[in-house]
Amino acid sequence: MVVVLSLFAISACEDPVVPAPRTVKREAPRHVPQKKIDKRELRKGTSEYATGYSAVTVPMKELWKTLGVAHPFWSDYRTIDGEKFPELGPLAPPIIPDDNDQKVDDANWPRADDPRVVLGKHLFFDPRLSGDGTVSCATCHDPKQGWALNTAISRGYPGTTHWRNSQTVINTAYLWKLNWDGSDKSLETQAKAAAMGLSGNGKADMMEERLRQCPDYVRMFKDAYGSNVPLIEDAWRAIAAFVRTLNQPFTPYDRHKFGDPDAYNDQQERGRLLFRGKASCVKCHNGAMFTDGKFYNLGVPQHESFRDDPLRQITMRFEYFSKGVSEELYRKGKYDLGLYFMTKREDDIGKFRTPPLRYLKYTAPYMHNGVFETLEEVIEFYNDGGGEDWAKAFGIATKSKRMKPLNLNDQEQKDLIAFLATLSGDEILMEPPELPKYE
Amino acid sequence: MMRSIHIRNPAATTARLACVVLVYSNLAVAADTPRKITPLPKSQASHPAAVELGKMLFFDQRLSGDARVSCATCHDPAKGWADGAPLSAGYPGTRYFRNTPTVLNAARADFFHWDGRLGGDDLPTLVRDSINDSHFLSADGRIILERMKQVPEYVELFRKAELGEPSLTAITRAIAAFVASLNSTNVPFDKFLKGDQSAISLQAKQGFTVFSTKANCIQCHDGSYLSDQRAHNLGLPENPQVFIDPLRAITFRSQLKSVGTPNYMNLRKDPGRFAVTKDYRDFGKFITPTLREISRTAPYMHNGMLSTLESVVEFYDRGGGRDRANRSKLLKPLGLSDVEKTAMVEFLKTLSGDPIVIRIEQKDLPKYRAIDDWFRKKN
Repeated sequence: MVVVLSLFAISACEDPVVPAPRTVKREAPRHVPQKKIDKRELRKGTSEYATGYSAVTVPMKELWKTLGVAHPFWSDYRTIDGEKFPELGPLAPPIIPDDNDQKVDDANWPRADDPRVVLGKHLFFDPRLSGDGTVSCATCHDPKQGWALNTAISRGYPGTTHWRNSQTVINTAYLWKLNWDGSDKSLETQAKAAAMGLSGNGKADMMEERLRQCPDYVRMFKDAYGSNVPLIEDAWRAIAAFVRTLNQPFTPYDRHKFGDPDAYNDQQERGRLLFRGKASCVKCHNGAMFTDGKFYNLGVPQHESFRDDPLRQITMRFEYFSKGVSEELYRKGKYDLGLYFMTKREDDIGKFRTPPLRYLKYTAPYMHNGVFETLEEVIEFYNDGGGEDWAKAFGIATKSKRMKPLNLNDQEQKDLIAFLATLSGDEILMEPPELPKYE
Repeated sequence: MMRSIHIRNPAATTARLACVVLVYSNLAVAADTPRKITPLPKSQASHPAAVELGKMLFFDQRLSGDARVSCATCHDPAKGWADGAPLSAGYPGTRYFRNTPTVLNAARADFFHWDGRLGGDDLPTLVRDSINDSHFLSADGRIILERMKQVPEYVELFRKAELGEPSLTAITRAIAAFVASLNSTNVPFDKFLKGDQSAISLQAKQGFTVFSTKANCIQCHDGSYLSDQRAHNLGLPENPQVFIDPLRAITFRSQLKSVGTPNYMNLRKDPGRFAVTKDYRDFGKFITPTLREISRTAPYMHNGMLSTLESVVEFYDRGGGRDRANRSKLLKPLGLSDVEKTAMVEFLKTLSGDPIVIRIEQKDLPKYRAIDDWFRKKN
């Protein structure tokens, strides 16, 4: 009975009252359950798996459920103001899609020595997957800059500029809506869209033939996908397989979650409570990835560079033009309308997908257009209740009702930032591989 | 008797008969009339503002994907509006696998490109294709129109040229108007044709005689454009660079793939017109190029394998290339003497008019300008 009770205590790690005893080892693969995972559940972010209950607690919880009695602190949800939100949690191994299988280790983590991953790593760093052979994935997702860019707005193809902030690729295996407007639903389509769009300007036929000109690539594609010649669609799959290995599951936050009492100091713990409590960050930044995958308008101000940079103005109009808005709207097109470009619903104007908060330490500046250089600015922005709702210029108010002044004092803001720092582990660095040569 | 003939409408029957007779007599005329060369007709005048705008756009590198190449990169006015290289350069990161033809007198062509993949009656489409093709300018039309809109001088010029606001269509029309205005002027041979006996030398006149009789070049190079606008296979050797240079091999396959050429991965010969028609009888055929401005557009042939006019004449004198598969039956050893060959080269040189040299540096083109009061002004 004592054993059972102590296990309850472990599992209740989200409850601030119960201290987590030091019974769980730090090696994280231990927490991986061997049972089959319902992928749909995981995508919703509501399964035990995604919300971070350990291998030990899952069967215990199942057992409890059979009793048919509500548990006092054991919940998949955090309830704030009568609303339920998925709990925060540690990262489990990512889902591998059925149509792009890759090898995983004993604990279900994707292996770096899988032929698809090895191929994907080369392709990730290969600038020949672009129009003029100068831009690779790593150009805008630079390992040294948090696998993103440390500029407010991403650079885009030579002769042009991007219009949004480059996001990290770390942990993107867990996302089911990629890009700031959720325009891609998988890493495979994201890789393709980036190489062939505003950033890469690549043409499929040309890029495919470039790969076929390298005997090393021909061999690697054969190993990875069994095709006699490289197929460009497999290149996107391989890049996605590589990105699925770029995960950071063992941050101080995850260690804390597994019950390591040394993982957090007092300030970080206070920040954690603020995150889930007074600051209500968890309303949107929830689940194992700290994102609900939904879209909100926070009233983030426009980036000033659009005012005086001709290239940025060109790109902004291009996006309006190419995304097929009405002519009336195109004539007014000055603001990044976010989700509206996908749905063409007026009440989606200015909404952007909640970004994940993992690996945050290395991915400044922040927000969809990088207007905030530091986390301090971001917290201050939220503390003020967000910005002005510029969607009103389009005759509709779309700013999220959740954006209210938080009344955090200076110390609380610092605590929150201290907590956010625990969502990132060590910096993940990688040297570019030697690329196959033409022959 | 009347019943068996069944003439219900004698007038219509007569008209039909007349048609048939007309068609056959035309064919007969076409076959019998000796081929001849005619002077360049006067070109249709385009909107002067469109020509002026097209001229600037022709040199403007912002019309390419990465803003590093313009039309003039390969169609260099100083090199006869071609690039002087056996094989064309192409977009950065790619290299093309055929020779750059001149754009002078292009408005007279029935087909564009060596394989004639585009019809000659639509110059703007050629421009649009060249802007979009991954091996030429590789630009997204939607982004280059926004680039043009960011240059106030261009916006004004588009308006003046009655092309509306900058659009891909307007861009291609302006450049097409400029290209259509690039015609040979003061061509010595045209003057000779119009009766000026002193316009060309005696040697050139002899060359012309050889050209139209003994060598019978005129059977394919005739009319005002000096081309029969048909495809022929000369049995030319392949340019090995197409298969040795990885970038050219890549572009070769990429282009053939994009037009759906069968077995494009294994081709080690340029299929030419075959890639367009998918008819094996057209394998290795290329559209007869114009001879106008020929003295300025070396090297010659679709793959630039012949570097001088002398070598071209020599090539035909031998009766074409050694590759006999599908080679044109029109090619026979000519048995020309050295004098005749030299005369022919002299004649060919009289087909070039006054040099048209235009050069616009990138720094002289109007610049992007940020739009004032951006967040409020309408686009």
